[in-house]
Amino acid sequence: MLDVLRLVWFDLKHEIYPPVWIGLQWFSFTIQIFIYGALISQLVNIPQIPNYQEFYAVGFVVMMTFDVGSHAGREFVEAAHEGRLPYLLSLPVSRSKLFLSIALKGGLELALMLMVPFAIILALIGNLTVLSVIAAAAALFCLGFGVAGLMLGLSFIAFKSSDLYVAVTTGLSALLIRFSTVLYPLVFLARASPGYDFVAKFSPLTYGADLVHLALGFDPSMLLNPTIAVAALTALAVSTLGLAVFLLGRLVEGVKSG
Amino acid sequence: MTELLAILQLARNDFSYFFRTKWLMAVLLSLNLSDMLVVALVYKQIIPISKINYFQFFVPAVVVMGMFVAALDTGRRIWLAIREGVIQYYLSLPISTPGIVVAYLLAGGLSAMVYSASLLLVALVVLPVATVGNTLLLLPFLFFLAMGLAGISAALAAVASTHGEYFFAYQQVVQILLLTLSTVYYPIEIIRNYLPTFLTSLVSANPLSLAAQAMRNTFLGNPVQPFSLLNILLASLPFTVIGAVAYLSALRTIQAKGKM
Repeated sequence: MLDVLRLVWFDLKHEIYPPVWIGLQWFSFTIQIFIYGALISQLVNIPQIPNYQEFYAVGFVVMMTFDVGSHAGREFVEAAHEGRLPYLLSLPVSRSKLFLSIALKGGLELALMLMVPFAIILALIGNLTVLSVIAAAAALFCLGFGVAGLMLGLSFIAFKSSDLYVAVTTGLSALLIRFSTVLYPLVFLARASPGYDFVAKFSPLTYGADLVHLALGFDPSMLLNPTIAVAALTALAVSTLGLAVFLLGRLVEGVKSG
Repeated sequence: MTELLAILQLARNDFSYFFRTKWLMAVLLSLNLSDMLVVALVYKQIIPISKINYFQFFVPAVVVMGMFVAALDTGRRIWLAIREGVIQYYLSLPISTPGIVVAYLLAGGLSAMVYSASLLLVALVVLPVATVGNTLLLLPFLFFLAMGLAGISAALAAVASTHGEYFFAYQQVVQILLLTLSTVYYPIEIIRNYLPTFLTSLVSANPLSLAAQAMRNTFLGNPVQPFSLLNILLASLPFTVIGAVAYLSALRTIQAKGKM
């Protein structure tokens, strides 16, 4: 276990010293919620969502989770590209411990990033039970791991061209966010254009966002069935992480990233 | 004449580098097109038409947003040139140091213009304008604005030197502040009701607000006001000058010390 912790710290310390990325995420969140969110909520009118600023704040945290998860996947590819991964593979540590350390590092990073924004959301919404807070946090972590797994699963593209990998993952990220219920309930996607809601059902963020919104007390009539959302999110996390471990076990050994 | 030719060649090189960066094109296009064709459409459903037609309001602003983000990439290219030592090669070329600065700002302005022109074409398809001529009249002024925005980015790259994490942090902070404190996403009346007076004045003077408003007016078929064009020029000029001076002093430091 000490090996795993040492590996986690080896990677995590770059994010903490200096904590530029973490500080930046907190700064973005504050500006987005207290300026953009507050101003746009003066315009938005959804009877079932009396305070759109709160809805947007929760959606923004889901986007941050997605961002951290995809960053973890991209960082792994970068490690392969820059030679850090071959170094890690040469250490006297088993592959399973190595993958465990990557997952743990991702989880810790996510916790660090979300600590302040999540606390602000809880203060904004208020009147929540411990159970609902735990459920929301669990949904966010599940989504984070699922997205990281998805990005790791796509890393086989990077072994052909890292430029193409970044193009695919960043382009995909923007589309997954827009075609999801992070910023607006599903019913309005359907009203905007026929078919948008159908596409949104393929975005993992739709399930993550609706589940977190539900846990934090938003009107369930505007959200997806929670049973389906839980099933989709769990399936995503398990399948993509499983696929990633399977692919990486075969791809990383002795392969150079282009 | 030789100097001018050298500036244009260097600008062309940087201009083509922008469009050859596949991942950047993927990011920009997916962000801006999905903003236009998904976000604007959905927000139109959740914002009452009695308040504002959000699709009509936001689509022209996405063109300006695209120009801003593309212009900001100038800084990334300058930062890369400094970090990877390509700048040393540029300094050895038969071109003056101010010439290098001008070439980068020209390329930054031009690439942002070409990129936003492609978004403008999409906008013209989804939101037909009464008079296309008015919109075209705006373009040269938007080019000045794009140079100013490229100047901001150049200044950030010069300040961050070789520290990548700081450059991207500065860039993100500037991007968030300039976009959030502008009328790109919401009308000025809403801002006036919520933000203090000094911030509302900043929002009104923000070059992105000026450009977004001018673009919206042309889409509505209103004639272009000379005053608004002058405002765009005046708001862009300080950014261009600050960026040029910051980048020039960074290049002079590299010339004198061999590094920053």
